[in-house]
Amino acid sequence: MSAVLTVEDLVKVYPGRRKTPPVEAVRGISFVVESGEFFGLLGPNGAGKSTTLGCITTLVRPTGGRIVVDGLDVVRHPAEAKRRIAVVPQTRNLDRDLTVREVLTFHGAYFGLPRAEREARADRLLAQMQLTDRAAAKPLTLSGGLQQRLLIARALMHDPKVLLLDEPTIGLDPQARRLLWDTLQGLHRQGLTVIMTTHYMEEADRLCQRVAIIDHGKILTLDTPAALKDGLPGGQILDLLLRAPEPVEPRLTALPGVSRVERVADNGDADGEERLRLFVDPADGLLDRVLHAVRDAGGDVRHVSLNAPSLEDVYIHLTGKELRD
Amino acid sequence: MTTFLAILRRDLLVSFRNSPLLLMATLTQPVLVVLVFGNILPRLNLVADEFRAVMVPGLMSITMLMAGVQGVLMPLAADLSGSREVDERLLAPISLPGVVAEKVVAGAIHASLAGLLALPAMIALMHRVGGLEVSPRWSVLLPMVVLSGLLSAAFGLTIGSNIQPRFSGLLFAVILGPMMLFGCAYYPWASLEVLGPVRYVFLVNPLVFMSEAMRMAVTPDIPHMPLGLLLGGLAFFGAVFGTLGARSFARRTIL
Repeated sequence: MSAVLTVEDLVKVYPGRRKTPPVEAVRGISFVVESGEFFGLLGPNGAGKSTTLGCITTLVRPTGGRIVVDGLDVVRHPAEAKRRIAVVPQTRNLDRDLTVREVLTFHGAYFGLPRAEREARADRLLAQMQLTDRAAAKPLTLSGGLQQRLLIARALMHDPKVLLLDEPTIGLDPQARRLLWDTLQGLHRQGLTVIMTTHYMEEADRLCQRVAIIDHGKILTLDTPAALKDGLPGGQILDLLLRAPEPVEPRLTALPGVSRVERVADNGDADGEERLRLFVDPADGLLDRVLHAVRDAGGDVRHVSLNAPSLEDVYIHLTGKELRD
Repeated sequence: MTTFLAILRRDLLVSFRNSPLLLMATLTQPVLVVLVFGNILPRLNLVADEFRAVMVPGLMSITMLMAGVQGVLMPLAADLSGSREVDERLLAPISLPGVVAEKVVAGAIHASLAGLLALPAMIALMHRVGGLEVSPRWSVLLPMVVLSGLLSAAFGLTIGSNIQPRFSGLLFAVILGPMMLFGCAYYPWASLEVLGPVRYVFLVNPLVFMSEAMRMAVTPDIPHMPLGLLLGGLAFFGAVFGTLGARSFARRTIL
C-alpha cells in the first residue's frame, strides 16, 4: 500500500470582512489515505469537511500546511494534481447548456482525451450508470439520483486515481441512496481510491474502511468504524428520556454494569425532559436497576432504548452533541 | 492549450445553439436606431444626411460593447450562481489565468461577430435613402474589431465579476447607458473641440476609443482620433479591465 493523498497540518482561515470576523474553518488537520482505500470525513455541517475537500481539489487556497496527491503538491502543481483527482461536488454543477452525453465528452476534451477515446468512454460510462436512454436529454431534466450518477460518470471520464465526493447522498431518496452506495462500492472494488464527506453516520459506517471524525476544524479521532465503536466504554448504549427533580447521573454512575453516563445536549426538549446516554455492559437485571435508580430519585422515565453502538454514539461520546442535518 | 481550446469550443457551440436569441439581443437595438435616425428622420428632413455616416461606426461600437458584455456576463452569472458551473473548469487541468483568458476570448469572438454583422445590416437599412458615405477599409477594420472585441469582453468580465446579478438592471441604466451617450457614438471626438478642454474628460470612457476605431475604419473621410491615442486607449483600457476582471474573478472563484 502506498499513500495517494497526504494532508499535513492543513489550516484554512477565511479572512474576515468589515463586520464579520475571520473564520478558522480548518485548524490543523493531518491524515493519509492509502491507494485503494475508501476513506470518510465525518462531521456535522460547518465542521470543516468541505473546506478540507476544497483544499485538496485546489478550489480553496490553504492558509497553511501541505497537501500531496500522488506525489504532487497541489498548491505548487495544481494542473498536474487535478489530472489525478475527480470531484463530485455537493452542488450539482452540471453544464446545463449541454446534453447528458456532451457533459461527458466535453469533460473528456477538457482533460485532453482524443475524440475516439472520449466518445467510447462516454458510451461505456453512460451504460455503466444506466443513463444511455437519457443521453440526449439536458442534465437539469434528470431526477436528483440520475444527476448524481451523471456527476460520477463525469468524474470518471478522465480516469482519476482518487474520487472525492462531497456529501453525495444529500437530498436523495432512500432507493437512489442505496443505488449510489452500490455504485461507489463497485468502483472501490475495481481499485479506485474513494474519499467522501458525509454527516450520515450510517453511510460512513457502511461504506468507509477508515473514518476521520471532524468537528470545529479538527480531527477528533481516526480509525476503522469497528475500532471506533469498540473504543466506546461499555458494550451497549442505553438511552433514557426522563424527567427528574434532581440530577440522577450520580446514582446511575454508581450502578454496577454502567461504565459511563453522558448527558446529551438537548435542543429544545420540552417540559424539562432530559436525555441521558448510558454506556453499559448488559447483565441480568440491569434495566431494572436503572429504572429503580431513577424512580428513587423521584424521577420518571419516559422512554428507554437499548442499542448496539453506532458511529453516531462515537460521535456523541466525543462531542457531547447529537449530529443534526 | 488543449484544455483552453476545448473550453472555447464548448462556449462557441453553446453560443451557436443560442444564436437566434443572441442575434436578437445584440442586433435589435442598432437596427431600430438606424431605422429611426438613419432612415425615417432623414426622409422627414429632421436629421442632416451626414449624421447617418457618423452614426454607423458609433452603433457598431455600441453593438460590440453590448455583445461583449452580454457574452461574458450571462455565462458568468451561471458560473458564479449557486450551482457553480465554473468549478468544472477550475477543476480541469488549466490555470486560473487560462480560464479567465478563455472567457475573454469567447466574449471577444462574440463581440466581433456582432459588430461585423451590424455593419452590413445598417448599410442595407440606410441604402435606400442614398448619399451614405460609408466605405469600410477591411484591413483596418478587422484588427480594430478584434481589439474592440477584446476590450468589450474584458469590460464585461470586470462588470460581471463585481456586480451581483440582481443589480444588472442598474448596470444598464447607470453604467452602460451613460457610456453609450458619451461614447462618441453619435458624434466624432474631433468635433468636441467646441467644448474646449472638457473633451478630454470623454477619454475616461473606453467606448470613445472603440467608436473612433470603427470611425477610422468605416468612414475614413470623417475626422477621427489620431491613431496613436486610439490604439493607446484601446490597449490601456483592455489591460486595465483585463487585470481588474481577472483579479475579481479569482476572488469570486478560489476561496
